[in-house]
Amino acid sequence: MLDTHVGNRANRRPARNIRGPRSALTDFLASNNISAAQIRDDYDRWVSQAQNQAVEEESANLVEHEEPEPEPEPEPESPEDKTKKRKRQQAIEKIKKSKEFSRRKARCTGEPDDDDDIIANEIMNEKQRPNPGQLENCELCGKRFTVTAYSKAGPNGGLLCADCSKKHTDGGKKAPAKKRNSGIGRRQKQSNLLDGLAPHGAQSLLEMCIKKVADHIGDVEEFGDLPPSLLHRLGQILSKRRAVNPQTLDLFLGAQYQSIDLYDCARLDTDDYNKILASMPALSRLNLRFVTPWKDSVFQYMIDRDMNITDLHLDSPNLVTDACWRELFMRLGSRLQSLKLWNLDSAFDDETAEVMCKHCTGLRRLKLKYLWKIGNKALEGISSMTSLEHLSLHLMQDTDTEPLLQIITELGPKLRSLSLEEFEFADDRLLQHIHDHCHNLSKLRLTQNAVYTDKALANLFRGWSNQALTYVDIHAVRDVDMSNPAGPPEPVGLASDAFIALMEHSGLKIKTLNIQSCRHVSYAALEEVFAEQKRYPELQYLDLSFVGAVDDYLAQCIFRCCPALARLVVFGCFKIRDICVPKGVAVIGTVSAKVTVDGIVQQETV
Amino acid sequence: MAQSTQSEYVTLVSCDGFEFIIPRSAACISGTIRRMLDPSSNFSEAVTGRCVLNDMTCVIDREWIRTTRSGVLVTRFTDVGSFAFFSAVVLEKVCEYFCYNEKHKDQANVPDMDVPAELCLELLMAADYLDT
Repeated sequence: MLDTHVGNRANRRPARNIRGPRSALTDFLASNNISAAQIRDDYDRWVSQAQNQAVEEESANLVEHEEPEPEPEPEPESPEDKTKKRKRQQAIEKIKKSKEFSRRKARCTGEPDDDDDIIANEIMNEKQRPNPGQLENCELCGKRFTVTAYSKAGPNGGLLCADCSKKHTDGGKKAPAKKRNSGIGRRQKQSNLLDGLAPHGAQSLLEMCIKKVADHIGDVEEFGDLPPSLLHRLGQILSKRRAVNPQTLDLFLGAQYQSIDLYDCARLDTDDYNKILASMPALSRLNLRFVTPWKDSVFQYMIDRDMNITDLHLDSPNLVTDACWRELFMRLGSRLQSLKLWNLDSAFDDETAEVMCKHCTGLRRLKLKYLWKIGNKALEGISSMTSLEHLSLHLMQDTDTEPLLQIITELGPKLRSLSLEEFEFADDRLLQHIHDHCHNLSKLRLTQNAVYTDKALANLFRGWSNQALTYVDIHAVRDVDMSNPAGPPEPVGLASDAFIALMEHSGLKIKTLNIQSCRHVSYAALEEVFAEQKRYPELQYLDLSFVGAVDDYLAQCIFRCCPALARLVVFGCFKIRDICVPKGVAVIGTVSAKVTVDGIVQQETV
Repeated sequence: MAQSTQSEYVTLVSCDGFEFIIPRSAACISGTIRRMLDPSSNFSEAVTGRCVLNDMTCVIDREWIRTTRSGVLVTRFTDVGSFAFFSAVVLEKVCEYFCYNEKHKDQANVPDMDVPAELCLELLMAADYLDT
């Protein structure tokens, strides 16, 4: 009954002198000379005193409370509170030794030491909180709400209702973001390194702005009069981020532009391709990748409009039929100067290739990669395209050497770049033909083959009338025999002799060299090629992955011989344990090696 | 005669008349400005010490003006509209970049400079023009 009095005291107060029905408890207390009224009055007085105190304190602190709390608050001055204070102090000391405390402290490192008390107080307040399920008034808005495990603590240690909790966390999340130390993070560093960027100094303002524009591409309405080079770079960045969609595509369309380069069109649809053609009447260079929804109708539009397309680069237009390809070549083929096609598996057969060879009479650049339906017959056709200067082939069918020999004989003298990838059955005769017929090459790629011999490769480069090559990629040309890892006694693939011959022939001009997986190149050969007096002034990119002989010493020799080196790729070179990398060189692929750049030991790469 | 009289600082003037005085070495990060200031180029900037690019004015160190007073003005740039992006706001950011670049010249893993989103397209054009 006494409880009822207390709970409803606000209602009862004006009626204090009116005696209502007496309860059994009141009777009992009265009989023991205890006055319930006396107790109640004492309590009321005490509560009102406490309230006044609280109001004074609050007005002093300028903290607003909508209503004073009904529960009594401990007064700091009274003697009992001293014990409470001491107990609290003890509790705080205890907390400071607890695990939770040290964990939190670790989270807020970098702040002054007097934070200890703040953290301890925080934990203390949390412990005093009501348990989930109880009702509590929100500290900020004063609303009554049910406490849950997710209720957040307010700025003064009280609890917040769901709405205020949300708002409060939003504010709270922003705070730690500021704590990030300057410089870029480890992940970003590694990402840059794999991209071959080991920049010294700041990146250019241009690059910085382009990236920023790409970040905010959604807010850009139009680019205005951006030069084509910048547009191309923006297209590259957006493609890499997979951000080319119908909205961003509009930014690249303009009647004044003659070219469009987008390296990831996976989010575009057939209509978007039509839009490109319709809105760019002057288009001459069309370079789009991942164009699966590209259909016959798009080419048909191109044919109907008699568009002056000179460069056509398309990756995976698999819905286009053979009939359409043929019509395209017949109608527009003579204008084409460069044709690059990748990943065609359902159409584009030998007959289509023949039509292409017959009608594309002005073609200077031809690249056919991962085309599944063409083989020997297509190669024979290509040998008749005498206008070609750049040829790049990577077919999926097995082919013979003879058609390749024919190509080299017919086209060789004019060719400036030649790339023959994964012609597994091509043999030394091909190399001999290249030696005899090609005199203008600056780029040569012969990869994934286990038939060429070291001797034939060396003979290719020795006494070759061709100028020094700038780009050489002879990766994965080696003997593959699990039972005989050392290879046959007469070396197969690019081994020591051929490597020395290559570097003697092209060392002065070579910019890019990839001999990945040519694992029979010996230590002695590498030592000779990268000897002290040798210099490869132009070499910027060197891939020696899985050339097992490369070790710390050879790596230092390489840095010494190649002053322009920007990227050294050494996946699987496990003998590299501890290297000092010169400024501006990106070394990619070391495993648990100590890499020191400019005297600073770098963090683990892989 | 050039090297001895070149002062350490150059003044860049925006189209709306704000002047920014920054170290010569920092300004020369820009290929365009470097070529402008190159005494051997014999451009008007190098001859008179002052170049007027329609909207962008580039006043080069006064020391230099005093020593060479031949007064030949070479107009190199004929397209009028394309330099309107050199407002004070943009040029300020460009100068900030020059100093930022100078400061981080020999450091690895430099943090990106903050470029406000609303400025980045104009700044992009400016950067393209300035060859930085």
